[in-house]
Amino acid sequence: MKHPYSLALLTQAILAAPPVVIRNAHVIPVTRPAFTGSVVIENGRIRQAAEQVTVPQGATIIDAAGQYLMPGIIDCHSHIGVEAINEGSVSVSSMAGIEDVIAPEEIAIYRALAGGVTTANVLHGSANSIGGKCAVIKLRWGASAREMLFEGAKPGIKFALGENPKRTNSPSSRGAGTARYPTTRMGVEDVIREAFTEAKAYQKEWREYQLKTERREPAIAPRRDFKLEPLVDVLENRRFVHAHCYRSDEILMLLRVAEEFGFRIRTLQHVLEGYKVAKEIAAHGAGASTFSDWWAYKVEAYDAIPYNAAIMLKKGVLVSINSDSPDVIRRLNTEAAKTMRYGGLTETEALSLITINPARQLEIDGRVGSIDTGKDADLVLFDKHPLSNYAVAQKVFVDGELRFDRARDLAARPEREAARQALLERERPGARRAPARRAQ
Amino acid sequence: MILGQADSPPMKPLRIPPCARAALALLPFLGAAADPPALAVRNARIVTVTGPVLENGTLLVRNGLIEALGGNVPVPANAWVLDGAGLTVYPGLMDALSTLAAGADLPQPGAASPRNGPSAPSGATPARGPEDRPLTTSWIKAADTLQAADRNIDLFRQAGFTGAATFPTRGIFGGHGAVINLASAPAGKMVVEPSVGLYAALATGGAGSFPSSLMGSISYIRQIYADAAHYVAMKEAYAANARGRQRPAYDRALEGVLEARRLLLPGSRAVEIERSLRLAAELKVRAVLYGGHEAYRVTEPLKQSGMPILVSVKWPERDPNGDPDEVESLRQLRLRAQAPGSPAALAQAGVRFAFYSDGLQSPDQIKRGVRRAIENGLDETAALRAMTLAPAEIFGVADRLGSIEPGKIANLVIADGPLFAETTRIRYVVVDGVKYEPVQRENAR
Amino acid sequence: MRALYLAAALAAALHAETFLLRNVTVHPVSDPDIPNAAILVRDGRIADVGTRLAAPKGIRVIDGKGQHVFPGMINSATMIGLSEVGAVSAGNDVGEAGDFNPQLRPLIAVNPDSEHIPVTRANGITSVVTLPVSLTGTSGGGIIPGHASLLRLDGWTWEEMEINRAAAMVLQFPEVRLSINTPGELRPVRIPFLEARRTYESRLRDLTTFFENARRYQRARTAGDAQLRTDIRLEAMLPVLEGKVPVLLLAGNERAIREALAFGGREKLKVILGGVRDPGAAMAAIKAAGVPVILREPTDLPGREDDPYDHNYSLPARLHKEGIRFALGSFNNQFARNIGFQAAFAAAYGLPPQEALRSVTLSPATIWGQDDSLGSIEKGKWADLVLADGDILEPRTNVTQVFIHGRETGVESKHTRLYRRYLARP
Repeated sequence: MKHPYSLALLTQAILAAPPVVIRNAHVIPVTRPAFTGSVVIENGRIRQAAEQVTVPQGATIIDAAGQYLMPGIIDCHSHIGVEAINEGSVSVSSMAGIEDVIAPEEIAIYRALAGGVTTANVLHGSANSIGGKCAVIKLRWGASAREMLFEGAKPGIKFALGENPKRTNSPSSRGAGTARYPTTRMGVEDVIREAFTEAKAYQKEWREYQLKTERREPAIAPRRDFKLEPLVDVLENRRFVHAHCYRSDEILMLLRVAEEFGFRIRTLQHVLEGYKVAKEIAAHGAGASTFSDWWAYKVEAYDAIPYNAAIMLKKGVLVSINSDSPDVIRRLNTEAAKTMRYGGLTETEALSLITINPARQLEIDGRVGSIDTGKDADLVLFDKHPLSNYAVAQKVFVDGELRFDRARDLAARPEREAARQALLERERPGARRAPARRAQ
Repeated sequence: MILGQADSPPMKPLRIPPCARAALALLPFLGAAADPPALAVRNARIVTVTGPVLENGTLLVRNGLIEALGGNVPVPANAWVLDGAGLTVYPGLMDALSTLAAGADLPQPGAASPRNGPSAPSGATPARGPEDRPLTTSWIKAADTLQAADRNIDLFRQAGFTGAATFPTRGIFGGHGAVINLASAPAGKMVVEPSVGLYAALATGGAGSFPSSLMGSISYIRQIYADAAHYVAMKEAYAANARGRQRPAYDRALEGVLEARRLLLPGSRAVEIERSLRLAAELKVRAVLYGGHEAYRVTEPLKQSGMPILVSVKWPERDPNGDPDEVESLRQLRLRAQAPGSPAALAQAGVRFAFYSDGLQSPDQIKRGVRRAIENGLDETAALRAMTLAPAEIFGVADRLGSIEPGKIANLVIADGPLFAETTRIRYVVVDGVKYEPVQRENAR
Repeated sequence: MRALYLAAALAAALHAETFLLRNVTVHPVSDPDIPNAAILVRDGRIADVGTRLAAPKGIRVIDGKGQHVFPGMINSATMIGLSEVGAVSAGNDVGEAGDFNPQLRPLIAVNPDSEHIPVTRANGITSVVTLPVSLTGTSGGGIIPGHASLLRLDGWTWEEMEINRAAAMVLQFPEVRLSINTPGELRPVRIPFLEARRTYESRLRDLTTFFENARRYQRARTAGDAQLRTDIRLEAMLPVLEGKVPVLLLAGNERAIREALAFGGREKLKVILGGVRDPGAAMAAIKAAGVPVILREPTDLPGREDDPYDHNYSLPARLHKEGIRFALGSFNNQFARNIGFQAAFAAAYGLPPQEALRSVTLSPATIWGQDDSLGSIEKGKWADLVLADGDILEPRTNVTQVFIHGRETGVESKHTRLYRRYLARP
């Protein structure tokens, strides 16, 4: 591993790395038709992707004959790589932020990377009506918490409707704990409306202060409120709302509340009954990030159908398939493939659900989500078609850097085991305690 | 027992039952409460820490201070004289983060869960947000709640500790620490500096009480600092012109935060160290990190930040309550193997660090921990500095403590060999100029 | 939607359980694939398979239009029929109170109108084992939660669905548990190892005692003891003690597997090892014991940080290499329909594709003692068939028809109904 804790070094490494050319691959750009050809990576970006390319001098050549190259997979709903998920003590926990608790060494990140995922929207949990701030990360395995952040990605915040925020699923609701407002869907709406009413007042207070200072009148800056600031960000379109929801009634409720307060829901998350109100979702302009085929694990998921993504897509909603799980994130490609069985999507449509569509939802599509010149070289090489259950990711590049290599992983296994045994041996009682070899 | 040696004042032979001997451990010089007489150590090896080692020097202590040291120091006629032949004098050791004598922890709002440590008094209410100031007692000072009768004072002094930075450590904002001398003296006389920093931890409250998560705790610290800034502005405006203005409510939590000379923030693993460095930079506070086990991986950012770090000598160990068949991760094993190498890495990188006991109750364990750092590459001089001058500098008391220099407080440890060697015995400990003699236990090391 | 056209066309046909399915590629599993073949079904059973089958006079002919026919898949661990919505306890019939309930039979509590049945069947699963214990959580059911029942996913009543109500006796082998979830606590509570081991040992004693009691009861019964009072619980143990009913021994990791196998050996039980996820060095013990295994989903996350990322993906391949017989089970309801996909994942990581298909067809049929009637497309077996436009282990494939005992069940479910309804919403 390189020195993992310096962005300067990381950037240098990318800039200094020789260009890479992946040759003879079935290239699936997603945004345009697939072709057999090459992709040139330089300075962490895609320099060229075409049937015929100019091979830069000194380039490392990877022959990918018979293999499939697709854009790095993007998960619009994940909870990997964090030390905390829920600040569940309060109904509005917008002061809490995922960015503060990124755990860059959590093994789930590596496992997701090994499944071809290169970007994840890491969300606060769904314990509260208005949850915490989210972080979009790149799976730069080996980098520090700060370096994992997707630079320039617009910040987000998690909302949650239905059973989770009204706490029917929380352990304390089964115990003797006192009821925390809200306990109904009506209460959930109220919490959101109250919070934004408060946020508007706060916004006004600051505006007045700014006006006064502009007029050079004496004024004391209002108290900064880290609970309300993210909501003002939402009102002023500086922060995306990613809202956990299930039932059509609550989906509609949220759209209307947002419209009442003058903002837009960026994505509806899970949105298992989105297919029932696809028209309204499309009209509002919200994206939808859903599961492939989860259902029946709770009452609000009983009308969930695996055709959800297909219906919403056909009705003009920008749809993505997410994982919400450290397991499923490892195989989002086959999750997307299910939409071909359930709803008859085309291969390109299916793949767009885990690439360009989530990129658009997160407004990072200028950087990632397809194989196009100038975009970040976030790429996955599969041995078979990525929509096949038999496909295994072989190489995963993030910013042009090979962050996962199956061959390398397999080769390193005996070494890792030997290293473990050596460390255990050192700890055995009676073993001479030699000074530890320092890590790089 | 070495009571009543030739150079000690005559004293009645004491009959101490064997079981009480350990508890007494160190017996203070008789008349310690009065002004101590002058004390001289002759012909000793003197490790000053700040200057060169005197191979055969004399050290004169008067009025609790180091008065002189050198090859040829005149010794007053009435001074107690110790023959230092074969002995080495060091500055007294200091535990850079301790709860020694810090006094009872006070109840805090939002501390309803027994998971949080000692269970809170009944009736503790869940906190509903930052406004309830959960897990906060930022207004309390260890100096004000000092328990002079803490039995561990004796225990630590016997091992050569003459001082400690001691803190109330409960909750998120525990309270202000004090640098104290481990003297047998009234609490007020023990205090060297009453308020050296505010102890903060990323603690969480009971179920249903804010904050319940790491990110909640961090957001709370952030909010408290923002509130404090606003509080100052409001108070200043009110002080300038009270007429027609609403009175800002007095907030003891913010008062406590505003008084903090430094903020102690946790940082044991690399990710935690980096997190606290960022938080400190964001809050624009002078921070001291504590933990440091994985500091070897982040010496560069630490160096750049200029922030010192207190390194716990309670090195990670395999969980004695864990499953013996459990296959531990390489990461865990590496941390265990390499944590004791952190001090050496910090020393090499030029990061200021000091050692602390981190709850280890026995000074023997602490010394064993220091020895492991030495075995893992830390040179003994740096180890000594990390327990003397470095903590004094970190807490801003290096003008008084941490080295053997004329004018500094006479906190000394006199041993019959290299301080950290396993076979070395501590012969005398001097705190505030008062000499203590360890009661040598039968099987003491 | 090809599936729907075909279903409609087929529904119009006569003599439901007797027909010739022609113009298909047959994947018998027991034998090599047969392109351009036909299957003759008579009274719900496979009468013939081949490339030169002529349609007997007057028989209904179904044109498979070049599609593929597979044996219906068998999911070896579900709770289908016993649990509808996981989070709603009122609808859950898994996990009876008490540690020893060998007399319980899940079949009689199977709700034949559960929505899980058509949903699961639509992906080509025609039979499932349903267990009286929740295996996704750690809750309830005790040490012997009852029988495992094998049922086909078609029937008006649970009687009609029965393949074998007492397919096995489930035995959740005690484990040393170092953390427990407690209501009201956010995180699991850690238990010191020695304390956890004491709890485990006491549960193991309970188990041994229960078997001793059962043996004494068996002896008294064999001796014709007139004083013996019937004990329903112990009565249920007799076929187990006689080796007539296998024991589904649930043990996940190396230590539990070793101890469970040792127990099974001591008690001379006919063992099916279940819930295996991390056999480690106990692989040799499984092989030596010669017992078959019900594996959990290959997509289960590796248990330890340092496990290879594909640790569980590759487990079926490793078992196959050791020559251990195995079948796959979901150990849940929600994803029971994906058991074929799970088999494909195993193939992606080293299991020969033919073996992957076998692990959800012929292998489970054999393990559950139904290899004379289920699991492959062979003469004399039940016509549990799946018609699809490709490999049924692939997500892109459409299953167009499912036959159970030759009856066309269709691929309709709540999901397709809602799909059509809302796709048509103006």
